[in-house]
Amino acid sequence: MNKSMKKYRTTWPIIFLAPFCICFLLFNLFPILYSFYMSTLDWAGYNDKVFVGMKNFINIFTNDKVFWKSVLNTLRIGLVGFPVAIILGLIFAELLSNVKRFKNTLQTANFLPYITTPVAIGMIFTFIFEEHVGILNKLIEHFGGDAVNFIGTAKWAPLVISIMIIWRNTGYFMTMYLAGITSIPEDLYEAARIDGASRIQCFFKITVPLLKSVTTFLVITSTIYMFQMFDEANLLFTNQSSSTVGGPQQSCLTIVWNFYNQAFGSNPRMGYASAMSCVLFVIIAVVSVIGLRLMNGKEED
Amino acid sequence: MKKTKSVILGIILAVISIVSLIPFWLMFSMSTYKSEQIFQNNPMIPSDFLAENLKTIFSANFLQSYLNSFFISATVMVLSVLICAMAGYAMNVYEFRLKKVVNIFIMMTMMVPTQIGIIGYMIEMRNLKINNTLLPMICVWLASGLGAYWMVSFVKSGLPMELVESARIDGAGEMRIFGSIAIPCIKPGILTLCLLQFLWSWNSYMYPLVFVNKPENYTIPIFVKSLASAYRTDYGAQLAGLTLSTIPVLILFLFGSKNFIKGITAGAVKG
Repeated sequence: MNKSMKKYRTTWPIIFLAPFCICFLLFNLFPILYSFYMSTLDWAGYNDKVFVGMKNFINIFTNDKVFWKSVLNTLRIGLVGFPVAIILGLIFAELLSNVKRFKNTLQTANFLPYITTPVAIGMIFTFIFEEHVGILNKLIEHFGGDAVNFIGTAKWAPLVISIMIIWRNTGYFMTMYLAGITSIPEDLYEAARIDGASRIQCFFKITVPLLKSVTTFLVITSTIYMFQMFDEANLLFTNQSSSTVGGPQQSCLTIVWNFYNQAFGSNPRMGYASAMSCVLFVIIAVVSVIGLRLMNGKEED
Repeated sequence: MKKTKSVILGIILAVISIVSLIPFWLMFSMSTYKSEQIFQNNPMIPSDFLAENLKTIFSANFLQSYLNSFFISATVMVLSVLICAMAGYAMNVYEFRLKKVVNIFIMMTMMVPTQIGIIGYMIEMRNLKINNTLLPMICVWLASGLGAYWMVSFVKSGLPMELVESARIDGAGEMRIFGSIAIPCIKPGILTLCLLQFLWSWNSYMYPLVFVNKPENYTIPIFVKSLASAYRTDYGAQLAGLTLSTIPVLILFLFGSKNFIKGITAGAVKG
């Protein structure tokens, strides 16, 4: 008996946890740690490594305007896109939860954007927002307005990416919220209705507070996703003849795009890019710790 | 009164869904055009060039790219879900020292932004001499932090301990209990995670961009990019390829959507 107890306390847990831990350490954590080491180098990826200590970091913090611009761009694009997508997702979920027929069809329809390849989204959005032949501008001209150069100007281009984010994620967020709503017991609403609460009151006093765990989850995952944003911005501009990095006046250069360009662009600076990834890591770590606190707080309730 | 309300609600939802679907429809509809003619007509109405576009992509190495993408995503799906489910099982069924530490570790893995380690990952793959294969695009997805975190909560809510204990008394081995009791109990969770892992690796763009350097290793996004050259970008063919590339995820989603909703409920909401 003692021996089999030991099996349940050590051998089996190790066997079942080992694949996950080994894969994570080998393919996810180690590369990041290795990037930490590389951040102290001046290295193009093929020549001799030169140790430069903290110089890359000093450069980032003192005279790299592009890096900080990319941080602001990322925040601008993300903070317009994700909150709108989350709020719309919540509202649509509430609306949809009252529907009986076609519920599944509607849900599937709204989830489709999330499963569409980012490459396709980038192309389609180019076709919609392009200056001369884009569908939106054709519509604007049809109604007598002047065509707007949405993709080619620094004023509009980041907004187009925000719209991409909203379009792509709203249905996914809605599905999450809808799942949350179905797990709220119906008698709560019945009791509220007997007490004379209106639909809107029910929404704000019952639905929204009880969905707090879903909201927390979505906010955390979106924040982490936001800081790693690359596909959307990059793909909006890859199909254009002039391969600009960062879009018009670099207004769409996100942190990761900038990082990618430094690491794998025409003039690779692997060490410097690694230093950037370390700064980004710290930013995300701070956000995650706050998020972790929030989630743990939820468990103690 | 009640009727008008539900009609209005229906109209709102229909409009929302149409907005969601328009770009999706455009993708398909534009893939039926000859590139030069896409913008001369109303691209909402399909044309008749689809067969030609398909011919174009299949005469390039679309099939190879498709199979590569499929191989990557199918492998990722099977292995990563198995790995995560095993972790979720261990965290619920066993009592062991360091369990709390492992729990925090799993929480943290969910937060680690893997993508920013890509330089280190590339060097690692180069040193392992597998940077010219499809493996780099598989390995990075194997230990999904979010997947493990979800599996822990799926098993918690889906697998009764009494079932495990009575199976042990009946003399079933741990692997057997995991395979034929635990997995069926958490089926919605497993299917949900399968869909998501397939989707994420299928749509992945940055890793192929870094690791694919020869046509035999093209994945669909890279193949589609290769159809654009300095002289002519064949939008029609690109979109035909992309339309075909949504089919596997669409099938997975349509067949699993019931489970998907259940899975999300158990994972994200109660988790």
